[in-house]
Amino acid sequence: MNLPRLLRTSAVRLAMRYALLYAVLIALGLGVLYWTSARFVDAQLGAGLRKTLNELALGHRDLDRKTFLALVRSRLRADAPDGLHLLLTDSNGRPLAGDLEGWPPGLPADGQVHNVWVEDDLISGRPDDEDGYWPAVGIRLPDGDQLMVAYGVDQAESLLDFTQGTMGTILGVSIALALGLGLLQGRALLLRIDTLVDTARAIGAGRLNQRIPLSGRNDEFDDLAGQLNGMLGRIEELMAGLRQVTDNIAHDLRSPLSRVRNLLDVTLLEAREPAEYRSAIERATAELEEIIRTFNALLEIAQTEAGSFRGEWTSVDLSAVAQELGELYRDTAEEQGKVLALEIQPGLSVRGNRHLLAQALGNLLDNAIKFTPAGEGARLQAVEDAGRVRVMVSDRGPGIPYGERKRVLQRFVRLDAARSTPGSGLGLSLVAAVARLHGATLSLEDAAGPGLLVTLDFPRGSAA
Amino acid sequence: MHILLIEDDRAAAAYLAKGLTESGHTVERAADGEDGLHLALTGQYDILIVDRMLPKRDGLTVVRMLRADGSATPVLVLSALGEVDDRVEGLRAGGDDYLVKPYAFSELLARLDALVRRHRAPAEIPQRLRVADLELDLVSHRVTRGGKLIRLQPREQRLLEYLMRHAGQVVTRTMLLEQVWDLHFDPQTNVIDTQMSRLRSKIDKDFDRALLHTVRGIGYKLDESP
Repeated sequence: MNLPRLLRTSAVRLAMRYALLYAVLIALGLGVLYWTSARFVDAQLGAGLRKTLNELALGHRDLDRKTFLALVRSRLRADAPDGLHLLLTDSNGRPLAGDLEGWPPGLPADGQVHNVWVEDDLISGRPDDEDGYWPAVGIRLPDGDQLMVAYGVDQAESLLDFTQGTMGTILGVSIALALGLGLLQGRALLLRIDTLVDTARAIGAGRLNQRIPLSGRNDEFDDLAGQLNGMLGRIEELMAGLRQVTDNIAHDLRSPLSRVRNLLDVTLLEAREPAEYRSAIERATAELEEIIRTFNALLEIAQTEAGSFRGEWTSVDLSAVAQELGELYRDTAEEQGKVLALEIQPGLSVRGNRHLLAQALGNLLDNAIKFTPAGEGARLQAVEDAGRVRVMVSDRGPGIPYGERKRVLQRFVRLDAARSTPGSGLGLSLVAAVARLHGATLSLEDAAGPGLLVTLDFPRGSAA
Repeated sequence: MHILLIEDDRAAAAYLAKGLTESGHTVERAADGEDGLHLALTGQYDILIVDRMLPKRDGLTVVRMLRADGSATPVLVLSALGEVDDRVEGLRAGGDDYLVKPYAFSELLARLDALVRRHRAPAEIPQRLRVADLELDLVSHRVTRGGKLIRLQPREQRLLEYLMRHAGQVVTRTMLLEQVWDLHFDPQTNVIDTQMSRLRSKIDKDFDRALLHTVRGIGYKLDESP
C-alpha cells in the first residue's frame, strides 16, 4: 500500500480537516485566555505598584529625609528579586535614590499605571532585566520631588511567549495524532476497499461467480457488500438465463427448423402431384406455426425476466382476471369431461401487468386441465389472507416429484408424464418469470390427494 | 379493396402484394416512409398496411402525420416488435390494429377485412343487429332467432355481438381472444373452439339453417350462406 494513495484516502483527509479545525478552535480559545489573563495580571500588578507607591509617599510625608532614603533602599532590597524598581528624583528629574539611571520618558507623574518603554541604559544597575514595556506608576510629591515604581518584567511579552509555546505544542500534538489516526483508519478502509476492488476486477474479467467477502462486523461495508453480492447474484442468474436461452434456441428451434427444411428439400427432389405439394406445404406451415409459438414464448420469458419490463404497470383486478379465465377454461374442461371449480374471492387486486398475469394464469389452467384425468376436477382459487393475495391452481394429475419441482420451472423441461401431451415445456417458465416480476412467490406442492398445487403468493402491499 | 402497402422488405412486400391481389384486392407499394406518406396523402385507399420500421420515416411517424392531416383511413401496423407495450404504442400512434411478424396470411386478410368494414359501417350505433333471422337487440340485450328467444350469458352475448358486427367475414381465434376477452396470448388449449361450439348449440342447434360456420385452419364466420 503506497503512501500517496494512503494520503489521498478520505479518512486521512477527514482527519486532517478535523485536526485543522481543532487547531483553529484551540488557538481562538488560547487567544481569549491570553487576553483576559493579561488584563488580570495588569490589574494585579497595577494594584501592587500603587500600594507600594502609596506606602513610600506616606513615608516621605512622615519621615525625615535620611530615614526616608533608608526606607527606599530597604524596600528596593526586599523587592528587587521580584523585579521591583524604584526611583526618586528631584523636581528637575535628577535621580536622588533608587536603581534606575533616570526617569523613563513617557511616564507622567499622575499616579496612574502606564506601560512605558524602558531603555537598557536606564537599568544599567540591574543587568538581569531587559528593556521592554514595563508597568510603572509615578507621582509628584508635595516638596516637588518625583517618585516612581515599576516592574521590570515585560508581563505581556512573557505571557505571550507562554501562550504561544502552549499553542504550538497543542497544535503539533493534535495534528500528529490526527495524521496518525487518519493513516491507520485510511489503511483499514483501503484494505476493505481493496477486497471490493479485487472482486470487481475479477468480475470484470468474466469470473461472475466471485463474491465480496463479508467481515462479519455488520457495518456499512458489510451492508454494501451484501447489496453488491445480491446484485451480482442477479446478474449471474440473468447471464445464465441468457446462456440457457441461446442453448435452448439452438436445441429447440434448430431441430424443428431442420425438419421443415428436410421436408421442403425432399418435396422438391422430384416432380410431384399438386396434392402432394399442397400437403407438404401444409405440413411445413404447421411446423413453422409451432416454431413461431416456441420462439414467441422464449422471447416473452426472456423479456419478462430481463427486469427491464417497460409495459403497463397498474392496479389489476385479479378477481376479474381469474373469473374470466376461469370461466373460459371451465367450459373447455367441461367439454373434455372434467371439472374446473372456481373459488374466487371478489375485489382482489394487485399491482402489475394484466396481460402477463392473465397469461400466467392461462398457462397454469392449461396445465391443470391437461393433466387432470377425465371425470376428475381441477380447482382455481383466489383468496386474500392476512393482506396477501394468493392464487392457487390444483389439479388431479400425477403431480410433480419433490426433486423435480425446481427443475420444471426451467425452460423446455418436460417430465416423462408430459411427453405424450402437447406443449413446449415453457409454460411454467413463463409463470415463474411473471411471478418474479411481480415479486410473488411461486410454489409447487402436492395437492390434497393426488395432483399438483401451484400457489402464486403476492407480497403484502402489492394489493392496490 | 384498394390497399397501400408500405414495407421496405421487397421480397416480403412482393409476396404480400401477390397474396392480396389473388384475394381480389388492388395493391400499391411504397418502400420507405417518405414515399409511403406521399402516396397516402395524395391517393385514395381503403386501408393502409404500414411496416413499423421503415427507412427515412418510421411507420409510426407516418401514421401520426397522416392522422394529424385529418386522414381517417384505417391503418394496420405490421411489426417485428411484439411486446405488449410496443403494441400499445402502435395503437396510440393512430394505428387501428397491430399485427406482429411472423403472422399467418389468413390472419392478415381477416383483420384487413374487419378494419375496412368497421370503417365503412355507419357512424351511429344501430339499435339492433340482424343476420338472417337472428336478431340481437343492443338496447334490451334480447337475442331472438325466428322470433324465438335465446338466452345467452353476458360473455356469449358479447361474442355474438362481435360476430354479428363482422357478419360475412372470417374472424380468427386470435381476433376473438383480443376483441372479446382482451387476452393477448395464445392458449395451448383451444378455449375459443369450446366457446364457439357452445354458442353454436344455442343459436344453430334447433334451426334448419346453420349461421355459424367454421372456416378450416383460419377461424369462424357468421353468415347466411356457408
